[in-house]
Amino acid sequence: MASADKPINTDVPEKDVFALHFLQSLSNLRRQNTFNSPEKTNDRVKKIKKAAYVSMARAAGGTNRLWSRALLRRAAKENNKIVRFPRRKKRVTCLRRRSNRRDPVEEEEAERLRNLVPGGGGMGTSKLMEETAHYIKCLSMQVKVMQCLVDGLAPK
Amino acid sequence: MDLSGRFGARSGDGVPFREVTGLESLHLGGGDEFRQMVPPENGGGFTALLELPPTRAVELLHSSSSSSSQATLHSLGTLTFPSNPILMERASRFSVIATEQNPNGNISGETTTSSVPSNEHIKTEPAETETSDQAAVEKQNNRCGKRKDFDKKVKSSTKKKSKSSEENEKLPYVHVRARRGQATDSHSLAERARREKINARMKLLQELVPGCDKIQGTALVLDEIINHVQSLQRQVEMLSMRLASVNPRIDFNLDTILASENGSLMDGSFNGTTMQLAWPHQVMETEQSYHHRQLQQPPPQQWPFDGLNQPVWGREENQDHGNDHNSLMVGSASLHPNQVKMEL
Repeated sequence: MASADKPINTDVPEKDVFALHFLQSLSNLRRQNTFNSPEKTNDRVKKIKKAAYVSMARAAGGTNRLWSRALLRRAAKENNKIVRFPRRKKRVTCLRRRSNRRDPVEEEEAERLRNLVPGGGGMGTSKLMEETAHYIKCLSMQVKVMQCLVDGLAPK
Repeated sequence: MDLSGRFGARSGDGVPFREVTGLESLHLGGGDEFRQMVPPENGGGFTALLELPPTRAVELLHSSSSSSSQATLHSLGTLTFPSNPILMERASRFSVIATEQNPNGNISGETTTSSVPSNEHIKTEPAETETSDQAAVEKQNNRCGKRKDFDKKVKSSTKKKSKSSEENEKLPYVHVRARRGQATDSHSLAERARREKINARMKLLQELVPGCDKIQGTALVLDEIINHVQSLQRQVEMLSMRLASVNPRIDFNLDTILASENGSLMDGSFNGTTMQLAWPHQVMETEQSYHHRQLQQPPPQQWPFDGLNQPVWGREENQDHGNDHNSLMVGSASLHPNQVKMEL
């Protein structure tokens, strides 16, 4: 009777996928006329950052990961667009909070983690840790891609 | 074949997502299937429970007389590590009941094969290696019993409470096997199972975050994990700032951009110079590709973005990552200098 939790799947696609998504989003950004105005660097930074996160979410999890779903939803809300996700197999946001699930020591940390990881509020602690693992992998991949880009474009 | 695949897959962004997510959903689907497979095993016990008339149950209860049961129990008690505990148990129970209820004959034996676990539900029989018992009891109380069953089986079959073996002989109660010195009510079992789940994931995280294996204690490990996530997010912010400052740069040298970008995107696996040499070679290899034709003649006019992006997508979907790893990078790298040219 193998339990379903045994194979915890935290696979992350290759770097190419991330790079592609990110470059595509960057090219879309460039198309905007307001993008390259030198005065508003802060806006540009924010846009690039958002593009980075969104492309990471799309590249890595698609809609199968809770954090990527939450990220995409958050981003879409900022743009006043409505995002619809395909029907998931399980109900994601059921709040199963029983009193004996909390352990006071680790709940502080879990709370901090929830604030960091997108979509952390609607997850139980074990699910949160799964998502955190995947999130960390994707973040490090995205950082690598961006680092390579910056190195490539750096002034020689 | 390549050409047809590529042209066929010009449908855009949706398809690669579906591919990737299709694989992932397979994974999840496999997990779900496992979950669904498990309940019917003990569900048979539940339905049999309902069918069993109370009188028969009482009979079976009392008919397990101490002497014969002791003998059989001892023989069963020596089974420390059966290869397939459920089958062994059921076979043993069957034999116990068959020997005791001679007047009832084979009928009871037949009916009790399925109802045997149900008897155990009605708080009857003594437990030797009662793994399915524990599973059943837990199922009654908790929803997520699958992992617990597995854990209990593994652990309990190796350890025995000395107390419970005594009680086996006297009182026919269900014993949920637990480790020495630990409480046996369902809540703590659930708690324990959940804790084990969390510990397993914590181990996963520990492997991911560098420098976490040496730390003892979950709180510190969690601290480390949180710090790591925060540092990664800060890195993303920093890099996006740098990119923002670099982006409007106008003067780019095409060759150096391509060479350096290819080299850096390969993450140092290729030397910058070798990549420069290798790149025209790559172009030759996949010369039939429509995209590479464009590369070889870098057009001075604007490239339509859609035209650029779509073939790149198509190539990603249809071909293996082996060879096309390089050509992908070349393709995507070419986006940048051309973009920059257009901004001019």
